[in-house]
Amino acid sequence: MAMLPRRFASLAVAGFLAVTCFDMVTGLEHWPFGSYPMYSGLYGEQLDLPRLYGVRDGAELALRGDSDFAPFDEARLIMALERLQRARGGEQKLDEALRNLMGLYNRRNAPGGPIRALRLYNVHVTPRPGLQGLGARQERTLIAQVGP
Amino acid sequence: MNLMVRSWNRYWFTPESAERLALVRVVSYGLLLAIYLPLDDRGWTQVSAVFWMPISAFHMLPGPPRNAALIGSLQVLWKASLLTSAFGFFSRASMATAAALGFFLLGLPNCFGKIHHLDGFPVLLLMILALSPCADRRGWPVRLSQTLFLLIFFAAGYAKLRNSGLAWMTAGNMRSIWLGELFTHTPPTQLGSLLAQSTWASQLAAAGVIIIELSALPALFFRRVRVVTLPALLGLQILIALMLGVYFTPHLVGYALFLPWERYYKKLVPAPR
Repeated sequence: MAMLPRRFASLAVAGFLAVTCFDMVTGLEHWPFGSYPMYSGLYGEQLDLPRLYGVRDGAELALRGDSDFAPFDEARLIMALERLQRARGGEQKLDEALRNLMGLYNRRNAPGGPIRALRLYNVHVTPRPGLQGLGARQERTLIAQVGP
Repeated sequence: MNLMVRSWNRYWFTPESAERLALVRVVSYGLLLAIYLPLDDRGWTQVSAVFWMPISAFHMLPGPPRNAALIGSLQVLWKASLLTSAFGFFSRASMATAAALGFFLLGLPNCFGKIHHLDGFPVLLLMILALSPCADRRGWPVRLSQTLFLLIFFAAGYAKLRNSGLAWMTAGNMRSIWLGELFTHTPPTQLGSLLAQSTWASQLAAAGVIIIELSALPALFFRRVRVVTLPALLGLQILIALMLGVYFTPHLVGYALFLPWERYYKKLVPAPR
């Protein structure tokens, strides 16, 4: 077994382990390495979530990332909208984001036809065991909207 | 010093049978191909640049990719490279292509607001396999992949204690996680909502999650711990899928690294007398 390849392999092993441990200890993310912080926070009994509602024929319908705004899934879409909301110039960015999302939805030729407006609400919910998803009690605050 | 070097060499460079290493490659690339066959990143070319929040090496790109045909071609090339890597055709070029394109295609969706921690390990595995020549009969590529896989779980347990302390292990917190996920995911069962009604079940689950995840570190060094930890981790991820609707399917390739494939192969194809 030649020494040089072993040194190269040792270097590779040490490199992979070093970045893994660095991310783990610092909580930073250097994808594909990471600190795997999912679900590591403390969660209260109440939740605030951004949620999208389309407007068709004057009525609002709740929309979900997975089925309505592909390639986004719901978790990624919610996080992205939260980050845009917090970003500098958030209002303008949210406006552009909602226009793009409305385009993504309408391009799908969804049954029932296109939506005329898209609204982003902050939904304040108090989940209770036994209730599935949005069946829980909720209050909504409008954050942004595009369309009439 | 010599003792440390000897231990290091023994841990990483103990020779393994060529048969086992070859089978690990076949299974790993084959499984990754099966898992990612439906992957289609072309939709991201339609998403506004306002959502572009690049991670890692993607900072080098000027913005989100806009050419759907190019992404489509890269996907076909990547899946073909996984297949040729599994069969050992043009193995060096195939494995390098699989790693490079895997990094790009699996990393791309993470540049749109949120990192999903499902695809990190498969990319690390592809990188390790690409770095190790097929003729290399030392066990380091498999050993390193197994190590990184177990460290993922230890990191997840450690992150919970670092970010929230022992308060993470309370019934209330566990219940809030279970119920909160119902708003962002669509689990196949109502198990989460059902178990959240029991304080005892929530408390037990919270402590169990931390213990199982932290046991991944000793499992690296002790085979007896590993025998218990790996099925427990798999069970945990199955429960997460059933209760929260979060599917860690790409991690199957990590569990597969620990299976004695050469034994299965010998049973399937008996050696000629």
